[in-house]
Amino acid sequence: MATIELQQVEKKFGEVYAVKPMDLTIRDGEFLVLLGPSGCGKTTTLRMISGLEAVTAGRILLNGRDVTWAHPSDRDIAFVFQFFALYPHLSARQNIAFPLQAQGESRQTIDRRIKEVSQLLRIEHLLHLRPGALSGGDQQRVALARALVRRPAAFLMDEPLGALDAEFRESMRAEIKRLHLDQHATSVYVTHDQIEAMAMGDRIVVMSSAVVQQVGTPAEVYHNPRSLFVARFIGSPGMNLIPGDYADGMVNLPGGNCYPVPPIWQRSLHNQMARAGRIILGFRPEAAQISSDGPLHAEVYAADLHGSYNMLHLSLDGKDILHARASRQEHFPIGTKLRFDLHPEWVRFFNADTELAYDCEVAS
Amino acid sequence: MLKNQAAPYPTSSQPQRRRQISDRTLSQLFIWPTLILLIAINIVPLFYSLFLSFTNFSAIANKPAEFVGFANFTRIFNDEDIWGYFALTGRYALISVGLQTVIGFGLALLLRKKFRGSGILTTLILIPMMLSPVVVGLFWKLMFNPSYGIFNYLIGLTNPATAPDWLANSQTALWAVIIVDVWMWSPFVMLLCLSGLSAIPDYLYEAAAIDRASPWFQFWRITLPQVAPLLLIAVLFRTIEAFKAFDLVMGLTGGGPGDATQMISVEIYSQAFLGQFRTGRASALAYVVLVIIIAVSNVYIRTLNKVREG
Repeated sequence: MATIELQQVEKKFGEVYAVKPMDLTIRDGEFLVLLGPSGCGKTTTLRMISGLEAVTAGRILLNGRDVTWAHPSDRDIAFVFQFFALYPHLSARQNIAFPLQAQGESRQTIDRRIKEVSQLLRIEHLLHLRPGALSGGDQQRVALARALVRRPAAFLMDEPLGALDAEFRESMRAEIKRLHLDQHATSVYVTHDQIEAMAMGDRIVVMSSAVVQQVGTPAEVYHNPRSLFVARFIGSPGMNLIPGDYADGMVNLPGGNCYPVPPIWQRSLHNQMARAGRIILGFRPEAAQISSDGPLHAEVYAADLHGSYNMLHLSLDGKDILHARASRQEHFPIGTKLRFDLHPEWVRFFNADTELAYDCEVAS
Repeated sequence: MLKNQAAPYPTSSQPQRRRQISDRTLSQLFIWPTLILLIAINIVPLFYSLFLSFTNFSAIANKPAEFVGFANFTRIFNDEDIWGYFALTGRYALISVGLQTVIGFGLALLLRKKFRGSGILTTLILIPMMLSPVVVGLFWKLMFNPSYGIFNYLIGLTNPATAPDWLANSQTALWAVIIVDVWMWSPFVMLLCLSGLSAIPDYLYEAAAIDRASPWFQFWRITLPQVAPLLLIAVLFRTIEAFKAFDLVMGLTGGGPGDATQMISVEIYSQAFLGQFRTGRASALAYVVLVIIIAVSNVYIRTLNKVREG
């Protein structure tokens, strides 16, 4: 199938960077997700890979072949558009047949391939309809069929579920994942939805303001965010980040809280920063453990029942709100004062100036 | 009829109500003046001429219309000259509209991508269709003139002795009219095509590029079907107009030389206002043309609906 390699690829509109020089290798058969808020350059990156957008510098290699300046039609890449981009005047069948007819395939081949993909995507009964008569989900199935039918080297998908209703989105998400596992084709998938990215990606590329923030597996970007941006952006809610002062193995936090740095972090922090200074403590909501002898104390600001657990909104000093997961059996009235501890392996520290994460020698 | 229908509004204006005109009255006040005009100069003549087509009425003869049944129609259908004029009009419409479609669509394709000065160029191209047909006919008559006209010079026939006299030669007169009509109305086709082309979303071409379609394939499978509805409307309008071609022909040739450019509308004019002023027969002929135009339009509209629904 295909590997895709971006070498120092950048895109400028005038003087403004849409994508700052980036390096990225997409492995054969991988499902790579480009994730970021809108305007971060993820769609532009995808369009540059497809050839719909020209790069301003850098090289793009497809299976080792330089395709930087090749026309989209010379790249053997399929693209699934956010708003489907079906041909409105053609039936679903004609839409799917389009790329095959454009290549002058024989009638029998076209009929056979359309049969295959329409079975795969369960749209056989819709083939005679025009896009206007199809639901959003079915339109996207037809668009996927059009992409699949020509067996391209790689699939590029630009927020293919973005235009769908919430209920369709989840089932289509599973469908696309199944398709990927069946076909095992190299796929690049753009989304701004971190849940989608976590659920689907083999690896996630987190982008913001035209820069790649982190490349890693979903678990890596979730547990070991490389920067404050990734820590906030991944997870819902994002990682709790509390500014504090570090001195002598202790972190002084707002509200008179004092958190002793866990033993596994002692040496790492000692090596990476001065004896004392500003630091940002980070932890996921599930890292908080409510216990009467915990080192931290806070007041319950609000509590939401999320079905299987309670999400507590805690306040250390009456201002900043933290999120912590608690068992659903316990009841936490507003204003309750409680104490909690943090799971030592799930605690992260960030440099307050560079906003980058400190490495933990033991953890890594 | 007129009097009865116009009656409601003077009677409804009772002194007390005058200050507070109801919405209904107000809307009637707006509608009726236009409606009266329309009835007076469109509907009444339409039915009056239908009546005349069954009479031997002549506008200059000082006697009342005499009912003659279908005699006018029988004469028309048995008159070989008139069949010839129909054929001539058909041929003119076919060639003229065909050329306008090709040239108009071609111009639209060229002007589709914006470039420096494309706006001004588009406006300049549109000027011919804004001119009065009679004026166009008259100045093209000058341009076609074999001794001092610029047309022969422009196409490279610079020797006045051998250059053709387009309007005086029965072989070329029809083509001269076609050339002027194409010059005048291709911009109209272009205008409609241009709006059709600009309505095609870019993403269709992006999808086609991804689907590895050649430019030729894209043209036939995307551009043409997407423009087809507007293109057909342009062709429909132009065909109807070509069938009614009159003012331009009168300005250029007056139907001549001989009857080389005697379009059916010119023939109606000749019957009605030249020689014996056969008003009755001219009315009958006008009705025949009306029926033909309605029939042709129907075919187009059906095709148009088919294109829209697929």
